Amino acid sequence: MLTILCTFAALFALAILVAMIAIVVIRGAGGLSWQFLTTDARNAGAAGGIVYHIAGTLLLVLTAAAVAAPLAAGTGIISHFYLPPGRGRRAIERLLHALNGVPSIVFGLFGLAVFVRFLGLQKSWLAGGLVLGMMIVPTVTVAFTEKLRAIPRANIEAAFGLGLSRPHVVTTVILPQSAAGLVTGVLLGIVRAAGETAPILFTAAIFAGATLPRGIVDSPVLALPYHIFVMAQDAFDPAMTRNLWATATVLLGIVMTFSAIALPLRMRLHEEARHD
Amino acid sequence: MSRPRVDTVRLTGAAATAITASALLAVIALLAAQSIPAARQGLLHFVSANDWSYRAATFGAAAMIYGTVVVSAIALLLAAPLSFATAVFLSEICHRRLRMPLKAAIELLAGIPSVVYGLVGVLFLRDLMGAAFERLQWNAWQGDTLLTAGILLAVMIVPTMTTLADDALRSVPARSRDAARALGLTRAESVFSVVVPQARSGLVAAVLLGLGRALGETIAVFLIVGRADNRLPESFAGAMRTLIEPGQTITSKLGGAEPNIAAGDPLHGGAIALLALVLLSLVLLVTLAADRLRTGTFAEEH
Repeated sequence: MLTILCTFAALFALAILVAMIAIVVIRGAGGLSWQFLTTDARNAGAAGGIVYHIAGTLLLVLTAAAVAAPLAAGTGIISHFYLPPGRGRRAIERLLHALNGVPSIVFGLFGLAVFVRFLGLQKSWLAGGLVLGMMIVPTVTVAFTEKLRAIPRANIEAAFGLGLSRPHVVTTVILPQSAAGLVTGVLLGIVRAAGETAPILFTAAIFAGATLPRGIVDSPVLALPYHIFVMAQDAFDPAMTRNLWATATVLLGIVMTFSAIALPLRMRLHEEARHD
Repeated sequence: MSRPRVDTVRLTGAAATAITASALLAVIALLAAQSIPAARQGLLHFVSANDWSYRAATFGAAAMIYGTVVVSAIALLLAAPLSFATAVFLSEICHRRLRMPLKAAIELLAGIPSVVYGLVGVLFLRDLMGAAFERLQWNAWQGDTLLTAGILLAVMIVPTMTTLADDALRSVPARSRDAARALGLTRAESVFSVVVPQARSGLVAAVLLGLGRALGETIAVFLIVGRADNRLPESFAGAMRTLIEPGQTITSKLGGAEPNIAAGDPLHGGAIALLALVLLSLVLLVTLAADRLRTGTFAEEH
């Protein structure tokens, strides 16, 4: 009875989620073409392509990754290599979990107040990248520390035994052996950042009229999720709807690609972390 | 003896840690500072009155808090049983070889952007719900309702809750199951009387983290909830009725035009910040509670 019920539930859950993707891809595939991927949008998204939306999204996630990776690396090294296990480490962990829980719209409002207005960046790719970077620091750090935990103690002790100083052990043993965790973390962070709309709503994205940014202040970008978000609010024109689904397919494709690259590494980390 | 040198790794690391740690504090401090003008008007009024209007400069957010609670509750009621049953399947029933690919699929699905859920909500679920309401003759005038948003949210949090619930079940040692089976318990009996009780705090944490995600989700809810201000029921029947009417949540309000409109108006901006602070407090409460529970299981394990 339990078996039947749970099997049915699992099938149902999987079916809903597969259906989600199928709905998007089936409706979006018709609108995909080389020209769609390589030209600028025209007619408020009803014609043309999404090349600058793709470029804008890539710029935002790369900025976010550049912000988050060093912060995550530093935080991970300090909490797992300099702090003794105990309260300090636990406090940092708890703080990361809390930061991870902060709703993305709250980050958006923070970015609006601090980066856009107070620092005077106005709507800018940098403001958006900073906000997204703040948002993904926990994701990157957690993946990195999982890998740090998986480094065999013997390797570290051997390095100390050879007379290496603590910073040397970090640069010659710890970082090389945990770099994969940082990469995985960054990929997972990018997955999250690429699809987020709420943080860039007020900080970075506009609907039309931007190409590649030439500067920093007041240099907004187009972005895939924001494009979908705006067009979804009045999608009645069939041509627009077709491009809308196609844009969603491209976004899904980008996110799933990064996800899939990170997946084997991530699953393995999970297993390694279990065995110690 | 080497002469003592400055440990640059430690310095840069400490700087990075300080920035990471201060991010959350900065968010809270900023919202708190911004919200002072609105908080001065009375916190009780803010959370209990139903009169949000920036033109009238009155900011009672009860209807939005109600919307957030209702939408999240619907999402949890639908998603929790489904996620738990799926997790039991993954952890206790399915073959080991099937387990990893299924887990991988669920991890992938957890990465679908919320705007994509929102799009499917707008161009698919909304019409589906509209048609269903019509067939049931519920006289809902459109598919954009609190119920629709709750259902969409439920779908969104299933992957997260399933993964976490599965982790919790897996953390129960195999010897507990073996012992139960050796005592002659059926699989169902061993799951319900041995595995689930031992995984309880992890399972509760899974629900809490799912709740945290539901509370804070903005974009998908924004697109499908109808964004009608100040709808608050006065009776139980009225409450049932509001489920199939458009509503507003805290996040759908924050994701709208008002944060931009509020520029230069400390009271309006303060109300927006206070609304964000209410949301943040709810989410942090839930997240930290989940964190405590998960530490509990971790400590027992080791």
